Amino acid sequence: MRTLYISALICLLTLSGKGNPGNGDLVLLQSLKGSWLFSIGINEEWISPKFNDSGWESIKVPSPWENQGFNGYNGYAFYRKKFTISSLYKGRMLYLNMGYIDDVDEVYLNGHKIGSTGNFPPDYSTAYNAERVYYIPEEYISFDASNLIAVKVYDSYDRGGIVSGELGLYGGKTTVNFDINLQGAWKFMPGDDPRRKESDFNDSMWDEIFVPAKWEDQRYRDYDGYAWYRKSFVWTGNNADEKMVIMMGKIDDIDQVFINGTFVGSTGYFPDKGRELANSGQEYDAFRGYYIPAGLLKKGQKNVIAVRVLDTGGAGGIYEGPVGIISQARYIEYWRKLKKTGN
Amino acid sequence: MKTKHYRYFAFIMLALIFSIQANADNLRKIVSLSGYWKFSIGDDISWVNPSYDDSGWDQIAVPGQWENEGYKDYNGYAWYRKTFKPGDVPANTTLYLMLGRIDDVDEVYLNGKLIGKSGKFPPNFESAYNRTRKYIIPFESLKEDAENVIAVRVYDSYLEGGIVEGPTGIYIDEDNKLLNLDLSGKWKFHTGNNKDWKSPEFNDEDWTLINVPDYWENEGYEDLDGYAWYRVKFKLPGNLSAGDLYLALGKIDDVDDVYLNGEFVGNVYDMRRNFEYNWNGWECNVRRIYKIKDGLLKRNGMNTLAVRVHDDQGLGGIYEGPIGIMSAENYREYRDEYHSDQSFWDYLYNKFIR
Repeated sequence: MRTLYISALICLLTLSGKGNPGNGDLVLLQSLKGSWLFSIGINEEWISPKFNDSGWESIKVPSPWENQGFNGYNGYAFYRKKFTISSLYKGRMLYLNMGYIDDVDEVYLNGHKIGSTGNFPPDYSTAYNAERVYYIPEEYISFDASNLIAVKVYDSYDRGGIVSGELGLYGGKTTVNFDINLQGAWKFMPGDDPRRKESDFNDSMWDEIFVPAKWEDQRYRDYDGYAWYRKSFVWTGNNADEKMVIMMGKIDDIDQVFINGTFVGSTGYFPDKGRELANSGQEYDAFRGYYIPAGLLKKGQKNVIAVRVLDTGGAGGIYEGPVGIISQARYIEYWRKLKKTGN
Repeated sequence: MKTKHYRYFAFIMLALIFSIQANADNLRKIVSLSGYWKFSIGDDISWVNPSYDDSGWDQIAVPGQWENEGYKDYNGYAWYRKTFKPGDVPANTTLYLMLGRIDDVDEVYLNGKLIGKSGKFPPNFESAYNRTRKYIIPFESLKEDAENVIAVRVYDSYLEGGIVEGPTGIYIDEDNKLLNLDLSGKWKFHTGNNKDWKSPEFNDEDWTLINVPDYWENEGYEDLDGYAWYRVKFKLPGNLSAGDLYLALGKIDDVDDVYLNGEFVGNVYDMRRNFEYNWNGWECNVRRIYKIKDGLLKRNGMNTLAVRVHDDQGLGGIYEGPIGIMSAENYREYRDEYHSDQSFWDYLYNKFIR
């Protein structure tokens, strides 16, 4: 919208290849390359930190298992690794980068699912070319203690496993002191219906999706168009006259955010606006922070966020954090810290 | 043959010269406000308060987009504050605060008072990113020998944000020197159209106040197209008790009908007929100056000026000075100054068709 020149420049930059958009601003804290424990097969007990894996084989990660003595194997397998997370990282948004997994995976930290990419059989679909970056909710982490990663993998044919990538624990550039962190599992449904913004709308049949992450990596591989996200939470918030901001990170492409059925903020124009308003094509790259109208959050009660998203092509969804609710004072603090990190 | 060619060449040269000179504002900077300002993201109306302590705030270079000042990726509300002592400023002339181009929406406060705004804040967001901000500083609201505080509330939806580029400072319009009575400032304003509104007897008490000259979009009428009326009452100063007088109304977007004490004075099409000022194809580029008929102006009593404006689309209103009364002598100077303002086509029209 501003100028053709800028659009053209950004187009060029985009084309010149920026891997996973959600990965752009993360800092490597701890590498997880090297020796992992490995077993072919499938068993739900292997997800648990209590399971005794002392009899498992050691395998080098990342590398196709075909190169590690499992030549010709296709099907299910598990990877496990124990590692320590320093309490220095408390308050920071932490992400697990699992690199590129051939073909499908589900990742657990201390028994809690933190992400999944591709589709396991029977509705199999591969995601071998997607980089896995999963947000780790802080409540799943044991700081200064042993944490277990368990990765369930399915490979249909050819090379399989955690084949490549920069595996590790990653963190946001700085800490975000959310009043409520909204990253993690949300409800998700493709399509469009204005009733979906209402707090009493029944979303119990909706799919589960992780935020932030592209929906293409989460069973909606070729989907473009409308979709809704919903999440409910109990607001334990602070004093009522403090201004609150909902940070929605980056959304591909345009969005409208509602809390308890009330409109809160929007980036980009939906075609149904009734006016000829042009989108610039850069909405996907805009960081969202919307002020929450005073009195909208109900203290001590269930609150519902509903996000209407329109993806006009390519990647889609709430794909980059941080996502959560923060007081204005701490929001200002966050941006000033970001500035100091050199942004 | 030779002469003809020479003529043709001369026309082209003239066209070039005129197109360069056309539409130049005669603004002069008297106080610079570029440089470091105090800056905070967020939004809090208490920040308009001149005594608010912003010492803990960040600093940012103005003009410049905040994305280049360490706030890459930031979208939403932010405030700029600047404390300054202007020193001597010229008396009896309108002062303009220019803040260049602000992306997307702004509200500007001087010493705690709102003096101008452009665009619309959410939830009914409307960008004004491509407009240069030029706000009238209300008479006597700038303190010459004390600290003044400008607080600018900005909202950026996405892409570049802030006071991004252009002139930042306090300006005067040099043309206002030619006014014997400067009428710029607060006028009465009403949208719509009613022929009774030209009458001096009409009671406009409940009309809203609006700054003249300024686009009405900057005065809270963001989506207004069509008719609106301006009214102002004034008394002539004693030194204008004799001689021909002229009414200058600067530039108006798009079409005006001017009434003085209930009588029709003229409109833009009279300007066209007289052809003394530029006619760059559009009504909105014409400098309005109307000769006031003998006896129409009350030399001692209260006069009522009423201007009906019709705006076709986009920005509208009495948007650029000088606005006021000129003596015949000043009128001639003003006319001479902008004589070269006429376009190539005006020149042709004047030379050959009239």
